[in-house]
Amino acid sequence: MPLDTSAYSLALLRVDGRRWNELRRIHAQIRTQAAADGSSYLEMGHTKVMCVVNGPSEPGPRRGATSGGGGGGGQSKNAEVAVNIVIAGFSSVDRKRRGRGDKHILELQSTISQALAASLHTHLFPHSTINISLHVLSQDGSLLAALINAATLACVDAGIPMTDYVAACTAGSTSTYAANDEGADPLLDMNHQEEQELPGLTVATLGDSDRVAVLVCESRVQVSRLEGMLAVGVDGCKQVREILDRVVREKGIKMIQEGTVERGVGLNDMELD
Amino acid sequence: MPREAEPSANEKAFLLKALQDEQIRLDGREFDQYRPLELTFGDEYGVANVSLGKTKILAKASAEVTVPFADRPLDGIFTIATELSPMAAPHFEVNRPTETEVLLSRLLEKTVRRSGALDTESLCLVAGQKCWSVRVDVHVLSHDGNLTDAACFAVVAALRHFRKPDTSMENGVLTVYTPAEREPVPLGWLHSPFCVTWSFFGEEGETALLDADWMEEQVRVASVTISLNRHGEICQIAKLGGVPVEAVALLQCTSVALTKVKEFSTYLDDKLAEDAKRRDKGGFMAELRAENDRIVG
Amino acid sequence: MSSESPLVVLPGETIDPSLIPTHKKNPLRLGPGLRHIPPSEIVPTVAGQLVVDHRKTSMWIEYNGGRYIPSQGDLIIGQIARSATDFYYVSLSPYTPNATLPHLAFESATKKTRPQLASGELVYARVSLANRHMDPELECVNSSTGKADGLGPLKDGMVFDVSLGFARRLLMAKSREEGKVEVLEALGEEGLAFETAVGRNGKVWVGSESVKTAVMVGRALRETDEKGLGVEAQRKLVKKLVREMR
Repeated sequence: MPLDTSAYSLALLRVDGRRWNELRRIHAQIRTQAAADGSSYLEMGHTKVMCVVNGPSEPGPRRGATSGGGGGGGQSKNAEVAVNIVIAGFSSVDRKRRGRGDKHILELQSTISQALAASLHTHLFPHSTINISLHVLSQDGSLLAALINAATLACVDAGIPMTDYVAACTAGSTSTYAANDEGADPLLDMNHQEEQELPGLTVATLGDSDRVAVLVCESRVQVSRLEGMLAVGVDGCKQVREILDRVVREKGIKMIQEGTVERGVGLNDMELD
Repeated sequence: MPREAEPSANEKAFLLKALQDEQIRLDGREFDQYRPLELTFGDEYGVANVSLGKTKILAKASAEVTVPFADRPLDGIFTIATELSPMAAPHFEVNRPTETEVLLSRLLEKTVRRSGALDTESLCLVAGQKCWSVRVDVHVLSHDGNLTDAACFAVVAALRHFRKPDTSMENGVLTVYTPAEREPVPLGWLHSPFCVTWSFFGEEGETALLDADWMEEQVRVASVTISLNRHGEICQIAKLGGVPVEAVALLQCTSVALTKVKEFSTYLDDKLAEDAKRRDKGGFMAELRAENDRIVG
Repeated sequence: MSSESPLVVLPGETIDPSLIPTHKKNPLRLGPGLRHIPPSEIVPTVAGQLVVDHRKTSMWIEYNGGRYIPSQGDLIIGQIARSATDFYYVSLSPYTPNATLPHLAFESATKKTRPQLASGELVYARVSLANRHMDPELECVNSSTGKADGLGPLKDGMVFDVSLGFARRLLMAKSREEGKVEVLEALGEEGLAFETAVGRNGKVWVGSESVKTAVMVGRALRETDEKGLGVEAQRKLVKKLVREMR
């Protein structure tokens, strides 16, 4: 089903009625799972993911035994971030069977693991593992971004020390790859339909800096488009960070009010309304 | 599973010190300089042997006639298979893909296949019934860092060098000709994408290097692989985690990558032309020649 | 040592009995690569150059193998893999079983003063025990005198991998005459200040105040090894490198 992009130039509205620089509704919750060390639920538009974090935990006896020699490193000085992604069969329109060795999922796992490992203070937990498992309940574009955001929230909830939030979002462009038209607008936060038709990329930044932790572009696009898309994407990440931050703060205030957490020093400046 | 041997603490510290304080690499290269890239073609069509310093990769393209996928009756089949065996480095095992191998094959897939470098529609013979299945096997013969760039170059070189048997359709009968009957034909090729990998070093990834060797790869804190073609089209960008890097630096990396890709492109064109000349035994006069080639044993 | 042209032997070849040194009192000593099949047959087990020393009634085979096999008395550069209760596990070469280095096998080391080494650090050590049934053992102290003799942890500097044969040539007492290696001397004559430690396991540690010097020494060593340069070519290479780096 081709997406009619010609309508965009008339009213400057996208298929779902957004303007070029608008995010979809982001709804997030933390501490949704009582059994886990940290958990979160996140919706970006119709993309819905859940995340559960367990750890950092010391490994079992199986892993501890070093196999015959191996490399020179011996035991690792940093905690390992192990990510596991499950994409539910009902999450997208066509029910696709994905095997265990699906390379796309392995790539997503590796990306999230490496992105978070750079932000989390893994050196505080030598020889241990942080288990992050992500479940995709519904897909409507920006999957990687939603997964990263959910994982960040869950890590915050689990109380793992980190430098800052890793916030992610997608950006696209209204031009097709061949067209070199300068009038093409960058788009923020693409849904599934837009992802199918237009070039786009996923960006994740650290905190509110301009430093890019993840940059994944899987479509053909002119080099000249990159700068605009990246700028919009980085800006979007900052907006996402604000939203994530609000979620965490609100939950924190609630927990203090309910008395789950003792009101400690230094919390007085937080607005408790 | 054996782990990758890590360099010692002294080596890591020294490498970083050399890069950041003195701006020198251990092998004396500039920061944006590739190791010598060499490409040789095999006697057969579609065999490319690429060496980038001590990294050596062999890619072989082959084709066979099969039934197309039911959901894409008008497209041929195109697959890229990668193999990292213990031959490349002792920590690779047969039939157990490591993360390196998965990421490598994904990158090749995105760079060459998904960017539409090969015209898969031209591989269709009879809609829904017969099509060519083109397969490229990538073998890493020796691993000294930067497999991606070398492997991508090898795949593109092998595919552009490859010739598939000529076919014809007459009255619903499909004929595949042997090379003796008809000269094999090249694949329908649309553009040549190449990968360029930057590696970042330092606390905030402020030092960027091109074409890291294995030692440098083990010390780096982040990397980004940018695939482009000479027309300035990005086919793929992958910065899969690692230490965050300034967005502006990434844009600079992309523009340098474009110049490198143009160099690769020219180099490959030259090599292909050279090889074609070597194979061409004198055009029209050769065709008129009555004698057969003698094989002197 | 025989002054004739090098005699290359292959595994299983018979060795001309006239080559085997004899002595009235001293027994014949066999070095690496040779195997004695009783009663009197001596068979090479590797391909290489047969070297016979009539004065010491010993013979061995000189070869450039890819894998280091520890033998007693070798000086090696090892990388600490991890620490156990009273010894370190030390990796001599990747993907081989670790050697052990007791915590107290350092100069004047006691339970309290022993060096604390983290994994990944380097030590220059001697192989004190090596046989085919056990993991090798190392020491960083001369057990009879209690002196370090230059052994111990290596701080800073850089390690360069070379082939085993080249490491052996570097370690020869008269490396210039017998080993045909002059690259280090040549570098020293150029006024470069550096120190080296050569490990029999194919590793050369180079320490220097200047990063540039260490890089240069490393490149000179590697190139000499990889291209099999002769003495003259080595001098030329050093001159070239010095010009490049200045």
